[in-house]
Amino acid sequence: MSVIEYDVIVIGAGVAGLTAGSWLSGQGLKVALVTTGEPTACLSTGCIDVCAQNDDPLQGIAHLPAEHPFHLVSNATIHQALNDFQQIMTDMGMSYTGGLGKNRRILSAIGTFKTTCLTPSTMQTSPQNENEKIHIITFTGLKDFYPGYIISRFPNASFSIYNAGVPTTMGIAANFEDDTFLEAFILWLEKQNIREDKIAFPAVLGLESAMSVKERIEHRLERPIFEIPTIPPSMPGRRLFNGLKDHFRRKGGVIYWGWPVAGVEKTGRQIEAVIAESRGRPNSLNARAFILATGSFVGGGLWAKRDTIMEKVFNLPVFVPGGQEVWFDQDYFSVNHGIGETGIAVDSSFRPKGCPWDNIFVCGAILAHTEALKNGCGHGFAIATAQAAAQCCLEHIR
Amino acid sequence: MKYEHCIRCTICVENCPVFRVNPEFPGPKQAGPDAQRFRNGREKSAEEWVLLCSQCKRCEMACPCGVEPAQIILRAQQRYGLEHPHTAAHLLFANNYYLSTLGSITAPLANRFAATKIGKKIFRRMGIATYIPFPKFSFKTLRGEKKARSREARKVAFFYGCFINFYRPDIGRKIIRMLQSFKIDVVLPPQWCCGLPALGNGNAALARSFARKNVASLSNYIDAGYDVVYTCTSCGLCLLHDYQGILEIPEAKKIAENSFDLYEYVLKLITEREIKPNFREVNRVLAYHIPCHLRALKIGYPAADVIKLIPGLQCRILDDACCGLNGSYGFKKINEATAVQLGRRAVSLIQKTGAEAIVADCGSCRMQLSGLSGMDAFDPVEIICESLGIKGKK
Repeated sequence: MSVIEYDVIVIGAGVAGLTAGSWLSGQGLKVALVTTGEPTACLSTGCIDVCAQNDDPLQGIAHLPAEHPFHLVSNATIHQALNDFQQIMTDMGMSYTGGLGKNRRILSAIGTFKTTCLTPSTMQTSPQNENEKIHIITFTGLKDFYPGYIISRFPNASFSIYNAGVPTTMGIAANFEDDTFLEAFILWLEKQNIREDKIAFPAVLGLESAMSVKERIEHRLERPIFEIPTIPPSMPGRRLFNGLKDHFRRKGGVIYWGWPVAGVEKTGRQIEAVIAESRGRPNSLNARAFILATGSFVGGGLWAKRDTIMEKVFNLPVFVPGGQEVWFDQDYFSVNHGIGETGIAVDSSFRPKGCPWDNIFVCGAILAHTEALKNGCGHGFAIATAQAAAQCCLEHIR
Repeated sequence: MKYEHCIRCTICVENCPVFRVNPEFPGPKQAGPDAQRFRNGREKSAEEWVLLCSQCKRCEMACPCGVEPAQIILRAQQRYGLEHPHTAAHLLFANNYYLSTLGSITAPLANRFAATKIGKKIFRRMGIATYIPFPKFSFKTLRGEKKARSREARKVAFFYGCFINFYRPDIGRKIIRMLQSFKIDVVLPPQWCCGLPALGNGNAALARSFARKNVASLSNYIDAGYDVVYTCTSCGLCLLHDYQGILEIPEAKKIAENSFDLYEYVLKLITEREIKPNFREVNRVLAYHIPCHLRALKIGYPAADVIKLIPGLQCRILDDACCGLNGSYGFKKINEATAVQLGRRAVSLIQKTGAEAIVADCGSCRMQLSGLSGMDAFDPVEIICESLGIKGKK
């Protein structure tokens, strides 16, 4: 038996889980969040992709196939959810730029452009075409960022290298939190006689104080600077996770780390409790409703075997697009791998279809027909479906 | 060890406090699953850098794939310890239990010596850091406490751990008084060091011998209907996880099934309506620093839940920063710089909350944080006793 009784237990600490958890806590419910580990959000660019199929994300959503779960969320809820998100991140000191009216482009680490909707403000001034004059700063020994890729596509770009004393993204970002380091860096930067309009950095400008580091450099160099997201460890992804996590906790939410769900207790049409792996007594938590936001394959929500695909927590029925022959496209880099459609199909109240229990609500990347890669709907989709599923969950509880 | 499950996502690296400040340590991914592929029984271990891991277990809590980097590194540390001579600091800290027994018998002398300049100089020579003062030995250990006679139905065997026994028996007495006020019979079973310091200093054999004795002793009490309650989160983690895991102690599962964190136990009794503590107002603004090993116990933050019941108390929970001391880790001179940098960061996060004092379950966290910040650091029981009006005797 569990020690504490919660109103809602959210499974998964990603963007979807934290958004749903915060929203429900904000409604006065007692919410706990359990998670195996930290989410794929930490590996992401930190950008909020809503739908990249069209310049206008809402237009893009309207043109998605009829079975796409984005259609279960009203435009009003999408607006509300993204506004709430921007407000939360501003409160947490990591503001986001952009809006639902129009998608934006940001420069990637290989010199291409990525279409997204909201970006961290540290990427606000990212160039919009290849002819912009930018100066790229990189760091001695940093293996995860090569300015050469960008320079080969940008005729007006140049670069310089700073020795930060450490060769890793984490180490450099930790250094930027230190005032003495930052001051020495700015003095060096001033000596570089940079003539270009903008200065680019790999995303290493600190972890907790990225915004103030950016402002301080901009103020001294008197021109805009921006970050380019790198491969993991990704600082913007971690800032996003930290912001959402701290907000959830401020709202009163409780997080159980290292808590993979290993079993459930059920009676009739209700799930009563989830049970964690434990070396001693069974470790279980009771709640009246459960939100499943465990993500797709990388997030750990779905598990592929040779011939079947399983949902790992409740063993819910999984929508799989045909046999293995349609799971994968010939081209590795294609966005049309059939397996992208895999997931949990839900009804209009975000309850899984064909599920024997009434108190489970599903949101985020684990939903069927999402095809996040193809449609460019990532965190924005997670935020919108999380708020919609949380609303359905609240109705169920009341 | 599921090192093959690593997908190299680097989330563990992002969470590693040591990697953040010490470039000598390659991080949990490289030191754990990556290097594990190259470790075999035939070659002598040449990786001295595995000793730089502080075993905070943050990588394990962060891993989305169930790989246990800290566990892999812990085994590599034991292997290194077996094959190489131990430094003076490693030897001393592994035998902390015996050292402390000696220290408390000679407490007035030992404390005075540890605080002198010459004493500190000798410590530094031996590779022991002195940036924060050593905890003071207590002449009157908790072990010597006389048992109060009672006939309550609910019985607890209290595993108090070395920190309380040798340095802060007053906290131990408060815990006993609190439990007694809930009509619980408390006994102090014969017990030894949990074995974690030995394990952390590369001496698994010594850890195993401590563990065997503890399991035999606690097992008797469990058979007699006692619940085992521990208060040191690191002792708890060792009892629950390492005894069954790396130390492979038979019967350890029985201990794990019947052991409770003190506040987990209190919270359980409150929720089951077995006890109804009468919490009175405490007007304090506190920052609750979550010890890394409490996170690793996977039981949530029970002390925080109990403290929340106290009216008037404001308590901000902070679980993102490791205090950096990690038991004996920060007291070794090679780790001093790492420990100080991490400690300063944790302190700055605490000071940002505007709290007047710190709460933490772990004695070594409290030592580090109050040593570096000059703020008071309390055990949760001190706050609970303040609210319940229980005064401890010295």
